[in-house]
Amino acid sequence: MLKSYNTAFKLVRHMATSASKSPKLTDVFIVGGGPAGLGLATGIKTSSKLKHLNTVLVDGGDIKGKVAPFYDNPPDFYTNRVVSVTHPTREFIEDKLGATLRKDRIMSYDGICVTDGVSKGLIDMERPGMAWMVEILNVQSSLLNRINQLKPSGFNLLDKTKVVDIKYSDPEDASSWILVSLDNGETYKTRLLIGADGFNSRVKTFSGILSQGWFYNKSAVVATMKLDMEPLKIRGWQRFLPTGPIAHLPLPGDNATLVWSTTNELAKLLTSIPVEQFTELVNAAFVLEDVDMKYYYNQLMNGKMTTTELKEDVQFRTNQILASLSDESMADDIYPPPITDVLDHTRAKFPLKLFHADTYCQERIALLGDAAHATHPLAGQGLNMGLCDTDALVRALESATDRGLDVGSLFALEPFWSERYPINCKLLSLADNCHKIYSNTFPPIVGMRTLGANIINQIGPIKDYISGTLSYSGKY
Amino acid sequence: MNRMQCLKSIKVRRSPWILTRFKSTDASASEVEHFRNLAPTWWDTHGNQRILHLMNLARLDFIQRNIRNTIKIENSDIYVPGFNYKKFLPKDISTAVQEEFDNEIEKILISRKLKVLDVGCGGGILAESMGRLPYVQHVTGVDLTKDCIEVAKLHAKKDPALKGKLTYELKAVEDVEPNEGYDIVTCFEMLEHVDSPSSILSHSWRKLKPNGILFISTINKDLISWFTTIFMGEYVLKIVPVGTHHLNKYVNSKDIIKWFQSTVPNKYQVMDVKGTMYLPFKAWVEHNCSDVGNYFLAIKKLPK
Ligand SMILES: Cc1cc2nc3c(=O)[nH]c(=O)nc-3n(C[C@H](O)[C@H](O)[C@H](O)COP(=O)(O)OP(=O)(O)OC[C@H]3O[C@@H](n4cnc5c(N)ncnc54)[C@H](O)[C@@H]3O)c2cc1C
Repeated sequence: MLKSYNTAFKLVRHMATSASKSPKLTDVFIVGGGPAGLGLATGIKTSSKLKHLNTVLVDGGDIKGKVAPFYDNPPDFYTNRVVSVTHPTREFIEDKLGATLRKDRIMSYDGICVTDGVSKGLIDMERPGMAWMVEILNVQSSLLNRINQLKPSGFNLLDKTKVVDIKYSDPEDASSWILVSLDNGETYKTRLLIGADGFNSRVKTFSGILSQGWFYNKSAVVATMKLDMEPLKIRGWQRFLPTGPIAHLPLPGDNATLVWSTTNELAKLLTSIPVEQFTELVNAAFVLEDVDMKYYYNQLMNGKMTTTELKEDVQFRTNQILASLSDESMADDIYPPPITDVLDHTRAKFPLKLFHADTYCQERIALLGDAAHATHPLAGQGLNMGLCDTDALVRALESATDRGLDVGSLFALEPFWSERYPINCKLLSLADNCHKIYSNTFPPIVGMRTLGANIINQIGPIKDYISGTLSYSGKY
Repeated sequence: MNRMQCLKSIKVRRSPWILTRFKSTDASASEVEHFRNLAPTWWDTHGNQRILHLMNLARLDFIQRNIRNTIKIENSDIYVPGFNYKKFLPKDISTAVQEEFDNEIEKILISRKLKVLDVGCGGGILAESMGRLPYVQHVTGVDLTKDCIEVAKLHAKKDPALKGKLTYELKAVEDVEPNEGYDIVTCFEMLEHVDSPSSILSHSWRKLKPNGILFISTINKDLISWFTTIFMGEYVLKIVPVGTHHLNKYVNSKDIIKWFQSTVPNKYQVMDVKGTMYLPFKAWVEHNCSDVGNYFLAIKKLPK
């Protein structure tokens, strides 16, 4: 029984490979169904100038089964990849692409309170409607929902499918159309290949485009948190600890999301201790002194402290600090609302890095989103940069179409990269290095580099970044 | 000024040593040679033809605008936006209005299936762009430099979307068939390279259908032109190959219009005339001084 099934399977495989001999022609081939890739597909199929372009999108993940259903059937908890969506990004998603985010799952917030874990400095930025906290799944599924509504012709979404090979149709000619082979046996020949395939972009590797940057030797721990009650003022909280910033950002109701950047070693500890201990540490990190935190890390690492002991100690020291305030009601203005719980399965960590591709395009290839740049979540710009890139690419393709250009030619793609590169450079705090990159004397940094908290200074005056950058993605 | 005088005023003195001429619209032998040398790099958008590729963007903007301006919307369901309407309507409504309006124009245009003749097509930069416009059914490109025609043919093969939409021929404009067979005739950056611009004009005009549009661009004969196109362009900034231009061949926009006045009076309408200039390292921009430097001209052939 098993054997005959196997033969049947092989036969199908065989047919699939023989079918691959004649590649299917397409205008745009998008690798990656993250926010950037889906945004571009929606942009092309929404634009009256571009919708004639045959478009294929592939993603290795289960987009139709796991991402799309979020829109009509979201889980009863908040997922852990939450981003701060800025005004230009929201305008692009809703006005230009015509997608509607699930309103019940986004949270508008009115500013951010930044404190310094060492010097007790505090910057309180009130800015009504500064930005929105949105789950990445909300963005992706809204875009998918919009594509479904459009019922576009000439569009094909292939999920659970991986790219296995990329090459030029004429190996001698780097401006020839590109052949993309998939693990389902199909091959496409495309006018334009889009790398929206995230940090480890296969398209970028094929293109040979180099990047500048480094790993921070640090990680971000993310999690969805429960508060003891719904806060009155809706704002974000960020505290700069010597190990990196910790951020507490609002979600609807009594929910909040955490992004805690710290050393790799501590990130490992934070994701492995019981969730009750983690909860205590989050509360402590926003109030207590660095020496206290160091003490807890040490004790927990060596297994010398029980959950109850930790809880009592944090409680005691917190009360001491609150008692020292001239007016106890001040606490609500300088400390975030305490959390009561963390959803254990939402606790995750990912390595921090800063990378910027030297260019985003060449003949027949454009890189979008994380494939072109990866950033520290501190500035909350990863997704915003990706979608602003997408916006610029859609506009470049529209103007190229008006002028009868080949939309896969570098000449057509250039305006996209020349618009976005300087802005992203600024956002990536690489502004100082830009001229070096431009003049091409900057050797690729391959080794690891630890910048510690210094990177924060490079990102520019904190206040500027909060008020302008964070809400407008560096556009204004 | 009578017709003869007018013709003379724009006719360029022929080099006496070119004795054997078999076509009135022939480009001079040295011009053919010059463009033959350029042929291999014609499509290098980052090489010495970059400025021409950039200019092509401005040409297309000029052409698209003028073609769209000839379309009248007769569908009474479509709201035709008036002047400044964006100020009075909410953003989403004004966007929707504009979109509906644009779509209607596009629909009408596509039904017209325009035929284009590109005179002096070179390596096909303009012809390909025109060929990709959804409302253009076919483009015929003619040129007298064999290598350019070959480059154009080869390049068009790279894009399957152009299949069947382009024909390139090594031919003088007077040999193009048929007369009154084209909705659009273009003479871009070519009058300044021929010995007898007036015969190019008259043959091109003949190929145009009634209501068709002749698009011309060339360079005024003035000091500014010499300074920008020859001195700066060829010698200082070196963005154009040396030997591309000859001031004595430049043609003034006023003279072209005078030629129409005296040759086909009452049968033409000047739709648009715009100066255009290159902002170094940026783009070509339009301006209203059409009698200095480079310019674009759109002239409509009125029905009999
Ligand atoms: C674990 C994690 C947590 C994050 N948390 C936050 C956060 O809390 N806040 C924040 O602002 N940012 C966060 N980010 C960053 C944010 O997710 C990205 O900036 C954003 O998703 C970038 O979108 P993108 O479309 O460019 O790429 P991605 O979202 O990375 O999408 C790339 C897609 O390409 C697909 N793909 C890759 N290779 C192939 C291939 N060969 N064949 C087929 N498909 C392929 C992948 O399956 C993936 O779906 C996080 C990133 C990660 C990895």
